[in-house]
Amino acid sequence: MRGSRKGLALFVLGLISLLIATACSSNNGGGSSTQSNAPVTKGGTYRSATSSFGFVGDFDPVGEYTAVGFSYYQMLLRTLLNYTGEAGAAGLVPHPDLATDLGTVSSDGLTYTYHLKDNIKFGPPINREITSSDIKYAFERIDSSSLVAQYAFYYDGVIQGMAQHSGPPRNISGIDTPDPKTIVFHLTTPTSDFPARLSLAATAPVPEEVAKCFTKPAGGYGNDIVSSGPYMIQGADQMDPSSCSTIKPMSGYDPTSHLILVRNPNWDQSTDNLRKAYVNGLNMSIDSNVDDIFNKISSGSLDGSFYEIPPPTVLQKYSTDASLKPYMHIDPQNTTYYLSMNLIVPPFDDIHVRKAVNWIIDKAGIQKAWGGPATGTIAGHIMPPSMAGLGTDYNPYGTPGNTGDLAKAEAEMKQSKYDPGHTGKCTDPVCNGVILLNRNEPPWTDAEAGVVAALAKIGINVKARELESGAAYQTIDTVKTGAQVGISMNPRWGADYGDPNTFAQPLFSSQALIPVGTSNYSMVGMTSAQAKKFGVTYPAGGVPSADSQINSCLPKTGQDRETCFQGFDKYLMEQVVPWVPMFWANQVTITSPTVTNFAFDQFTGFIALQNVAVSNNASP
Amino acid sequence: MRQDQSIRADQVDAGAPAQPGSEDDVAVGKSPWQLFWRRFKRDKFALVGGVLIILLIAIALLAPLIAKMVGHGPNELFDNATNEFGLPIGPSSKFWFGADRSGRDVFVRTIYGARTSLAVAFLATGIATAIGVTLGVIAGYIGGSVDTVISRLIDVVLSLPLLLFALGISAACSVAKNGCLHGLVQPGLRLVVFIIALFTWPYLARIVRGQVLSLREREFIEASHSMGAGEWRIMFADILPNLAAPIIVYTTLIIPSNILFEAALSFLGVGIPQTTPSWGRMLADASNSQLFTYAWWMMLFPGIFLLVTTLAFNLLGDGLRDALDPRSRR
Repeated sequence: MRGSRKGLALFVLGLISLLIATACSSNNGGGSSTQSNAPVTKGGTYRSATSSFGFVGDFDPVGEYTAVGFSYYQMLLRTLLNYTGEAGAAGLVPHPDLATDLGTVSSDGLTYTYHLKDNIKFGPPINREITSSDIKYAFERIDSSSLVAQYAFYYDGVIQGMAQHSGPPRNISGIDTPDPKTIVFHLTTPTSDFPARLSLAATAPVPEEVAKCFTKPAGGYGNDIVSSGPYMIQGADQMDPSSCSTIKPMSGYDPTSHLILVRNPNWDQSTDNLRKAYVNGLNMSIDSNVDDIFNKISSGSLDGSFYEIPPPTVLQKYSTDASLKPYMHIDPQNTTYYLSMNLIVPPFDDIHVRKAVNWIIDKAGIQKAWGGPATGTIAGHIMPPSMAGLGTDYNPYGTPGNTGDLAKAEAEMKQSKYDPGHTGKCTDPVCNGVILLNRNEPPWTDAEAGVVAALAKIGINVKARELESGAAYQTIDTVKTGAQVGISMNPRWGADYGDPNTFAQPLFSSQALIPVGTSNYSMVGMTSAQAKKFGVTYPAGGVPSADSQINSCLPKTGQDRETCFQGFDKYLMEQVVPWVPMFWANQVTITSPTVTNFAFDQFTGFIALQNVAVSNNASP
Repeated sequence: MRQDQSIRADQVDAGAPAQPGSEDDVAVGKSPWQLFWRRFKRDKFALVGGVLIILLIAIALLAPLIAKMVGHGPNELFDNATNEFGLPIGPSSKFWFGADRSGRDVFVRTIYGARTSLAVAFLATGIATAIGVTLGVIAGYIGGSVDTVISRLIDVVLSLPLLLFALGISAACSVAKNGCLHGLVQPGLRLVVFIIALFTWPYLARIVRGQVLSLREREFIEASHSMGAGEWRIMFADILPNLAAPIIVYTTLIIPSNILFEAALSFLGVGIPQTTPSWGRMLADASNSQLFTYAWWMMLFPGIFLLVTTLAFNLLGDGLRDALDPRSRR
């Protein structure tokens, strides 16, 4: 899934800031040095702030495809299978959640049967037992194209009868609900990671009586999500579902200012062994000033950070002060930060150019821009080691100190058709004014100078465009506008669940190329027919495809699957070269001493909001 | 001593008896520009402003030379200029003004920033002046429905929410490879110039229109009419030269506000890309992540340059106004 986005931070410019700067330079406010030994108890509220929600699907679970959104859903929604909300490999293993067990699969691998636990109800105002039809309805929503299910490719063509259509949700032939407690999926092809796909929020039960009011445009249901998990949006009990016209947005969620979650009175701990649900609620407010967020955590008025990357000054403070170190939590995510090169945009339609770029980029410099080694491990290939087990020793474009190698880059560039004179620099006019897309916020902007300088060394002179992160994503996830961008440094990709395919199909399959909302930003595998459909220019030399490699791995299971995807990663790095992998990110979370139990959710890659405990006695 | 006397003799010959103590009485027989210069050079603040501006322009023009002397350019990255957390080092013998987050020399970038600031300010002000004066003269002289249309247009532009609009335009023009309006408005410098010019011309147009309204009733215009001069000739050959003083004054005063406008736009991350040194952008980099609490040099030096530049233009503008229009003297 995509990473989070951040809104534009607006400040008042003036000489006042200059005066402040000179008046209060070199003063770092210290945090509390006392380690809290308070026992882990229920109660309190996790108070946090975020620079922006960064939602890409308006928080409607059918379309919301951000790790940040998934984190909130861990409090709000339950799915057939789900995760324990812990760090490490264990946190990626699916467990039964709504289902009584991991399901039964037929011997041909085509039929999966699940039974639902008893006594699980929707939260207010629906308050009724959740049935298998509510889960089936969630799948029906996925296929209604007006709702823009961004990861529909995990289900379409996999479950019989599932395909996008323009009407409202309608029956799916491949999903049976023989009784209210049983749901049966009929697949078209054996799909070994199918159970994990049932852990994603788009498959969480949805009450049709509310959601039928939100069939178009996309995103409306995000304001009125009916809870199935331990928490609900504040004000959910005030919502009047008697008719579509009486349904008003719940007061606890305002996309511009706050998300407040409170306990769902219908949730029963005895039915849920995945979520601890220590806190009474969550209070997430929007604070566009990231520094302010960390200052507030330091002073104790907030309990901890969420997805924001701590600025380097904060990193240095918590790394070097022994009394603060316990409050800095560094956890490897399943996320790769990368430069995406567009395979249909010259000069990146030439593999030699793409290889040369891989040789020249100063990854160590980029890592520094993010705040140094605490923020991640330098990546030598596409999939984080947690995905297919391909470790750091495979690094086809490794350079001493990871600072780039001009000689090797030039040697590669000399083979390119854009360097007919074999000068080692791109001499073709297409290399002038190549668009480099970036976010307009640090640390992305801090890393830009290094990328621009490196590309210039091999004759690629870029025009840098800096956009707010949402706008930047929209630019490249729309094929037509994405085709104007040669190279983009704004995206990052995190695993959707613990399977290497989440780094394959969404990113590199031609199937994932849709006119709007694609995540195959490099346009790997685009066919000339697709190019025609999208109205973009198709390069004369064609575009390498990874479809057959992906398809050969998909039926495999266990170690075979890992080995296959390791080979796929190598194929991408050597034969397709769509990316310059920069680093595999760590999530650095800063908490205040009020947090008595910190938990990291490997599945979302952020703090496990469903398992965190605080001692602040605050009410949501 | 001798020379002094001979000058005095010249003046006497020219028929202008010197009467010390009352400067304006010297006026007899002097052109308005000579008069202006006489008054202007007595204004020490304005002179300081003028000298500072000349210095700044020199710095801007000589930036590549200065960079050569220092030994590195504005976009050269130094790995050892940041620590393991990516935090920049402070002022040293190699980096006089310290380094920034990307490991670049703040001194060289500040010097180059003068180029961006001055280029944007002069270009944008020039365009705004051309548009503003033309429309102002037309509105004031022709009057009637033309005046109504132009005046309402001025009202409309002045009532647009300036920063929001600027953010919107820049977002809209940032995506397409060739920018907006068939490549006329390109992201970066051109876009910033366009936005600033768009929002500055109405001020000049308004002032010019007011002046023309009173000028067109004067006798020399009537005389020109009676001798068969065309409308355009009257507007631009007879009226315009009489507007030189207010145009010069207001243009000079608009320049510093445009420099600040550019800084504000760059500060907001609009337009000028990270690799083009700009004071506003440098201030933004310093305030991002509250970096200035640690790396004060990233804010102090571009801030001082910005302050001095705007101050210099304001002093000069005030001095020009006083010298060109003694009646408005405080």
